[in-house]
Amino acid sequence: MHQTLLTVAIIGYVVATGLALAYLVQREELLHRLASLATLTAWVLHTVALLTLAFNLGRPPLASMPEAVSVAVWVVVVLEMWIERRSGLSVLGAFVLPVAVVFSMQSTPTRSLIGPTLSGAWLWVHIGLALVGIAALVLNFAGAVMYLLQEHQLRTKRPGTFYYSLPALATLDRLTYRTLALGFPFLTTGLILGVLWAGTAWGSVFTFDPLALSSYVAWAVYAATLAGRATGGWHGRRAAYFAIVGFAVLMLTLGAGLFLPGKHGG
Amino acid sequence: MALFVSGLSHRNAPVELREQLAVDEDKLRELLRDIAAAGVVREVIILSTCNRVEVYAVADVPGEARATTFRRLCRHRGVEPSSVEAALYTYTEGDAVRHAFRVASSLDSMVIGEPQILGQVKDAFALAQSCEAVGPALHSLFTQAFAVAKKVRTETEIARHAVSVSFAAVELAKKIFAGLEGKAVLLVGAGKMSELAARHLVEQGAFPVYVTNRTWARAQEMARTLSGTAVPFDELSTALAAVEIVITSTGAPEPLIGRDMVQRVMHGRRGRPLFFIDIAVPRDVDGAVGSLDDVYCYDIDDLKQVVDANLRERVREAHRAEALIDREVGKFLARQGDVEVIPTIVSLRERLEAIRAGEVKRTLARLPGAPPETREAIEALSTAIVNKILHAPITKLRESSRAGSPRSWLDLVHELFGLTRR
Repeated sequence: MHQTLLTVAIIGYVVATGLALAYLVQREELLHRLASLATLTAWVLHTVALLTLAFNLGRPPLASMPEAVSVAVWVVVVLEMWIERRSGLSVLGAFVLPVAVVFSMQSTPTRSLIGPTLSGAWLWVHIGLALVGIAALVLNFAGAVMYLLQEHQLRTKRPGTFYYSLPALATLDRLTYRTLALGFPFLTTGLILGVLWAGTAWGSVFTFDPLALSSYVAWAVYAATLAGRATGGWHGRRAAYFAIVGFAVLMLTLGAGLFLPGKHGG
Repeated sequence: MALFVSGLSHRNAPVELREQLAVDEDKLRELLRDIAAAGVVREVIILSTCNRVEVYAVADVPGEARATTFRRLCRHRGVEPSSVEAALYTYTEGDAVRHAFRVASSLDSMVIGEPQILGQVKDAFALAQSCEAVGPALHSLFTQAFAVAKKVRTETEIARHAVSVSFAAVELAKKIFAGLEGKAVLLVGAGKMSELAARHLVEQGAFPVYVTNRTWARAQEMARTLSGTAVPFDELSTALAAVEIVITSTGAPEPLIGRDMVQRVMHGRRGRPLFFIDIAVPRDVDGAVGSLDDVYCYDIDDLKQVVDANLRERVREAHRAEALIDREVGKFLARQGDVEVIPTIVSLRERLEAIRAGEVKRTLARLPGAPPETREAIEALSTAIVNKILHAPITKLRESSRAGSPRSWLDLVHELFGLTRR
């Protein structure tokens, strides 16, 4: 049941992505409305799928990597719809939805994220917070890509599609900053809980686990960006580059969770 | 009775001819009265701008009306009719409607999407109205043309992007800073063009404005006209640190603003972007300045390039606008057609109903003892016959009006059923 719903939801995201990209190029208002409608419909189906799964499992659907990624996608889409509505950034979907689709496509067989020794409410909180943080940082990445594209247009002085369809640099810079400011606390808290958990459950904070190590690196990149922004100077292009580096490390983290043996892999 | 538009425009007539024919407002009143007096048109509107002279009219005999109208126009302007005749185009009925919509929507303009034409069409309409030359047909055509023009403007981006250098600069500033509210502007040098660009920026909320110039008096003068502040010329780099947008237009032979100067300025700005609009030739801002982080530097050629891209963008949008206009023309004609045939349908019904009622009354008078059921049956029978007979002609009238050629059918129905014209 939930698998069928999930498949339909993913197809919905794919359709929404196509429409959003078409809107980016064509700038036809109708395409934007259809994209929004497809996104919302797919998201509702996704919600039902996740609820069904949680009900069947009798626990939050966060214990395996595919489950966790699916929840992350769900949060990404919620954030995308919310920010788009609030800021009128109608092309946001074209940059966020493709990432959501790529995430959804990960099709590794269910591997338990949590070893048999691990369970309990704090663990769900650890995973949940980290996922919300990651979702916000997906939007941070999308904002950075949009910023670099628009900046490139303005520097080369040859207005093309992106010049016309993307908003102003200041708007995009604000978007990357705000999504970072939103995602970072979640990521931080999620990681701290994870470290504390590791200390008690694995006996040591510094056991070798690819996912954990990689996420520390990602955290460090984001922390540096945020510090740079707060103390001045770091913004615009530099901040955008850091957002992309941070996101790349984050992807490595998820990849590590999916493919490398480690404590997260179970 | 037929609608037509006839005239010449920048598309097929050289400016020499257009300016010979162009009519100013007072002369236009005279001309409209003259044409009305000739009695060949029922309704007429004349649109005269520097890019077109066109007559929109409704006449019983369009060919004759057209010839007479232009003969009078040529006589008024002292132009030889034969020289005009070759350049004239004429559209009738649906094509005339489309032309009116395209002109009002600025699709037929020299610069597609330019905003003045709609105002000019509105003026021509108002003028003809004040001369009592506008009747129901042109009234509905023109009011619909205004509505379509508005729709084209809001539903396509035909007029969205700047096609002048000064507006292109404003548009670029918005692509960098988002809103321009509270963004400070510095004018280096005081030319007409930089004044214009500064005015556009101020209209968008840019504030405050600083002006600097080698000649102090000139700086003060320009600062006064722009309600800004004059800054001594040797404090240029201090002023650069305080503003977001710089417009340069001095006559200096060498660049005034070099890379080193801007680099020093940028150091203290904590990443606030700086946008140079350099409209001076030779340039006032060194080309290398543009390679600095958070500095955007557009010279006059760059701005022209943006204008060219915007023009291409307008052409692209014009295709969408044409499709929109096609739909609007169809809707207008359908509505118009119905409006035309409805009086005939009504009088046809009234006529048959009168016959039916009269005959029923006579029949019932001859059947005094008939029970109510019989009376009702007779009523129902006669009504059914009338409706059956009416069905085909009414359908045909509606169809012909949708196809755009109801006149011959209208005449035929009037003739056959002995209807009188209202």
